[in-house]
Amino acid sequence: MLKSIAKSLWLLLFGVAICCIVYPLALLVVGQTVFPFQANGSIVKGPDGVPEGSLLIAQPFTKDEYFQPRPSAAGYNGSASSSSALAASNYALRNRVATTLGPIVKYNSGSKAGQLVAPDIEGWFARDRYQGASSIVLQWADAHNSLAQAWVAADTNHANYVNDWTKIHAEVVTQFIKNNPATPQPQPPDLAVVFFETFSKENPGKFPSAVTHADPAGKSTTVIEPVSAGTDIQSTFFDMWRQDHADADLQDLPADMLTTSASGLDPHITLQNAEYQLDRVAAKWALDTKRDAAGIRKEIEDLLQQKAFAPFDGLAGEKMINVLEVNLDLRNRFGSPS
Amino acid sequence: MFLNTWLLPFALLAVTTIIAFPLSRYLAWVMDGKYRAPRLFRWCEARLDSGPQNWKEYTASLLIFCTLLFALGFAILVAQPWMPLNPDGKWMLAPSTIFHSAISFMTNTNLQHYSGDQHLSNFSQIFFLLPNMFLSAAVGFCALTAIVRAFRGEKLVGNFFVDMWRVVVYMFVPASFIIGVIFLQQGSPMTLESFAHVSTLESPSVQQTIVVGPVAAVEPIKMLGTNGGGFYGMNSAHPFENPTGLSNFLNTMAMMLFPFMLVLMYGRMLGRLRHAVVVFSVMLLLMAGTMVWSIYYDTLKPNPGFTGDPVARTYEIPSASAPGGKRIVTLPAVAGLPLDQHLGNLEGKEMRFGTSAGATYAAVTVDVTCGAVNSEHDSLNPIAAISPMVGMWLNCVFGGKGVGMINMLLYIIIGIFVAGMMVGRTPEYLGRKIGAREVKLALIALLVHPIMILGPTGLFAATDWGLKAVSNPGPHGFSQMVYQFSSASANNGSAFDGLGVTYGLANNPSPAPEAIPWDIASGLVMLFSRFLPIVAPIAMAAYLGAKKSAPFGLGTLRDDTGTFGFLLLGTILIIGALLFLPVAALGPLAEHLGPIPFGG
Repeated sequence: MLKSIAKSLWLLLFGVAICCIVYPLALLVVGQTVFPFQANGSIVKGPDGVPEGSLLIAQPFTKDEYFQPRPSAAGYNGSASSSSALAASNYALRNRVATTLGPIVKYNSGSKAGQLVAPDIEGWFARDRYQGASSIVLQWADAHNSLAQAWVAADTNHANYVNDWTKIHAEVVTQFIKNNPATPQPQPPDLAVVFFETFSKENPGKFPSAVTHADPAGKSTTVIEPVSAGTDIQSTFFDMWRQDHADADLQDLPADMLTTSASGLDPHITLQNAEYQLDRVAAKWALDTKRDAAGIRKEIEDLLQQKAFAPFDGLAGEKMINVLEVNLDLRNRFGSPS
Repeated sequence: MFLNTWLLPFALLAVTTIIAFPLSRYLAWVMDGKYRAPRLFRWCEARLDSGPQNWKEYTASLLIFCTLLFALGFAILVAQPWMPLNPDGKWMLAPSTIFHSAISFMTNTNLQHYSGDQHLSNFSQIFFLLPNMFLSAAVGFCALTAIVRAFRGEKLVGNFFVDMWRVVVYMFVPASFIIGVIFLQQGSPMTLESFAHVSTLESPSVQQTIVVGPVAAVEPIKMLGTNGGGFYGMNSAHPFENPTGLSNFLNTMAMMLFPFMLVLMYGRMLGRLRHAVVVFSVMLLLMAGTMVWSIYYDTLKPNPGFTGDPVARTYEIPSASAPGGKRIVTLPAVAGLPLDQHLGNLEGKEMRFGTSAGATYAAVTVDVTCGAVNSEHDSLNPIAAISPMVGMWLNCVFGGKGVGMINMLLYIIIGIFVAGMMVGRTPEYLGRKIGAREVKLALIALLVHPIMILGPTGLFAATDWGLKAVSNPGPHGFSQMVYQFSSASANNGSAFDGLGVTYGLANNPSPAPEAIPWDIASGLVMLFSRFLPIVAPIAMAAYLGAKKSAPFGLGTLRDDTGTFGFLLLGTILIIGALLFLPVAALGPLAEHLGPIPFGG
C-alpha cells in the first residue's frame, strides 16, 4: 500500500515533469522559432502596424462594401466560442433563419423574378388575413408564445410600451390575473400574449415597431408605434407569409449564409455565398469609388476566384473563401469605406 | 458530390488501418519490455519499478494512482486564482464543477461542464489538462496489457508503474510531439500569452479579444489519448484547435490510431493475430456503419427545420380518454424556407473541414470514445444523432484506450457462452473453459453501462433537475439528457451543448440553475462506469488465465473465422442495441417523426 503510494508519487512527478514542462516547452520553442506567425494566433497587421484580426477567427462585418461572414452564435467573441445548440425541431432555429430571410428573399420566376418579396409581405400583412382567419398578429402570438415574450423582453422601449398599454387596459390585466392565479403581479413579458391579442384587434394590419420622428428643432426621438410596413414586419412575419404562399417560387439562398457555425468563429464562407453577395459588394464599391460598375464587379469576382480554395483541392469539399483575407484585400485596393 | 462525401470517411478508415498494422508491432514490443532504454530512462524506470505484481496488486496500484491523479487535478483547479499565467485574474471554478472536472479528466472522459476559453487560465490548461490526458489514457492501456498477460497464463501480470511509464514516454510523448509540430504548422497557437487584442477591420474602435495559449500542446494528446477535452469551449470546431482540412484529417486519424492498434496489439501479444483481425473487422464494420448512417442522414439530407412538408399528415392514436377511443392528431403541411441546402445540414458545422467531415467526426469520436467534436451534436439532424448515441451505447467499437477492447472482450465471453449453450458444449475462450464466475464478472461489467445511463436519465427526466436544464423542446430535450449520461457512462465526453450544466466560475452571479446536480450525478456516473468495467474484467481474465488450457480439438469453437465474427456482431447488436431501443424511440426517433418544428 505505502509502496504503491510512493511509486504513484514518483509516477506523478515524472508525469508532470515530462508532460507539463519538457513536452510543451519543446513545442513552444519550435512554435516561436519555426512558426511564429501561427504560434501567436495568425494575427495580420494593418499598414500602420496595428493588429487587425486573426486569419482564423471571424470578425463582424456589416457594411455593404464588405463580404459578410456566417452568422455567429458567439457574437464573434474571440474569447467565448459558442454554437447555437438549436435542434432542428426547435422553432427558434427556423424563426432565426426566417427573420433573416424576410427582407432579402427574391422571387425566382414569374413576372416578379429578381424582385424582393418584402413589399408583398407588407401588402399581405396589411390585409390582415392568415390561413383564412383574420388578425395575423393575434395568430402569431398564440402560436409562438415564446417569441411574443421575447419581443417584450428584448428592449426596454418594448416593455415600456406594454406598461403604458396596461394602464389603459386594466380590465384585460385583471382577466389575465384571474386566469393565471400563479402570476398575481404579471410583468410585461408575462402579458405579452394578451397584449398582442388586444393590440391585433385594435390595430388590424399593424405591428408595434420603433419609429424615429424629427421635431422642428431637429431633435429626433424614437418611439414605438403601430406600423404596417418596415423590416420588423418583413422579418417577423416572413414565415407566416410563406405558409400562405407555399407555391411562390423563391430564390434559394446559400445555407451557410444563414446557419451559425459550431465555433461561432468560422472564418470561411462558401464561394457560392460570396458570389451571392458579390452584386451588393461591387455596387457599393462602385458608388464609393465612382468607378465603372461592371469593371469593378469583374475585378472583385477575379479576386474571389483567385482566393478561393477547397479542402484537399476539392476532393473533400467545395470552394470557399476566407472572409477577412478577401476584405483586407478590398480595403487595400479601394481604401477604407466611410 | 459523391466523391466529396465518401472519400474522406473511407480514406480515414483505410489510412488508419494501414498504419495500425505495422505500428501495433511496436506497441507489443514495448509492452513486452523488449526494448533497451537509454540510461536516464532506465534510472527513471528503476525509481518506478516495484517488482512484478499479481492481478490484485496491479489493480490496487491502478486505483491508488488514479486517486492521487484525482487529488492532483482537484488541487490544481482550486489553486487557479493564485497561480501564474492568469493575467485577467480568473477565479476558481465552482466546487461542484471542480469535482466533476477532476473526475472527468482522471477517468479519460473529458466531459466539460466548463468552457476552457472562459474559465481556465493557461496554467490550468497546462498543469490540469496535460498530465491527466497523458496519464489517464495510459491507465486503460495498462489494464488491457494486464489482461493480456493474465490470459497468457502468467500469475504475475507485470508492474503497473513501469507499464504506465512505457506507454507515456515511449508512445504518447513522441507521437504527440510529431503531431503537435504539424498542428503548429497548420495554424494552432503555441504561446504562453493568454490574449491577442485586435482592432477589427470594419471599425477600428471595436476591439476583438482572442484567446490564445498552448493549444498545439493540448491538441495532439487530446486526440491520441482519446481524451477529447478541448482547450476552447467548442473543442475541435474552434479554428485554433483545428485550423484546416488537413488538420481535421489528422485530428480524426489521431483519435482512431491507438484504438485501432490496441486490438492488434492484443492479438500480437497473445500470439493470436488472426483472432484479433476478426475482432478488428467486426469493429471496423460497426464503425463504417455508424459513419454511413450519420453521413447519410446529416450530410446528404437537409436540416428538416428549414424544409417543407407538402402534405398534412393525420394520425389516429388509441386513447382511452378521448371520445370514441381514438384521438386524431394532425400535423399541418409546412412550406419550406428558400435555402439551398445541397451541402446538408450546416447548422453547427464549420466550412473548412470538408463536406462530410462533421458527420464523419461525430461517428468516429463516439466509437473510439474520444469525445472531441468538430460540429455541434445538438444541431445534428434528429435521426443522424442516433449514430453518436449508438456508438456510446455499444462502447466497444474500438472504444477508448484499452477499455474499448476490454468491453469487446466482455461481448466475446458472453457471445461464446451463449453459443456454447445453444450447441450444448462447454464454452471455451483461448482454450480455457468459461465458468459461472467468469460470466458473472463479465455481466457485472457489462450491465454497469445501461444502469448508469438509464437510471440517472429516468431520475433527471422526472424532476426539475433535468426539465429545467434542457434547452430544446419536446423529444430533443429528452435526447439531451440521454446523451449527457451516455457520454458520462461511456467515458466519452461529447455533449449536446445546449444542456444547462455550466455553473462557471465560483463567483458567477447567474449560473445555470441545475448545474450542481448535473455535476455530481455525471461525476459519479463517470467514476463507476470507468472503474467497475476495468476491475471486473481484470479479475475475470485472472480467473480464466489460471485455468488449465485444453488442447485444440474438433469440438473447439474457432475464434478466428468469419462465423465467429458474425456471432460477435450478433451478440453486440442484440445485447447492446436492444437495451437502448426504448430511449432511442423516445428521443431521436420521436423527434425525427415530427412534428418539426415542435411547438412554438
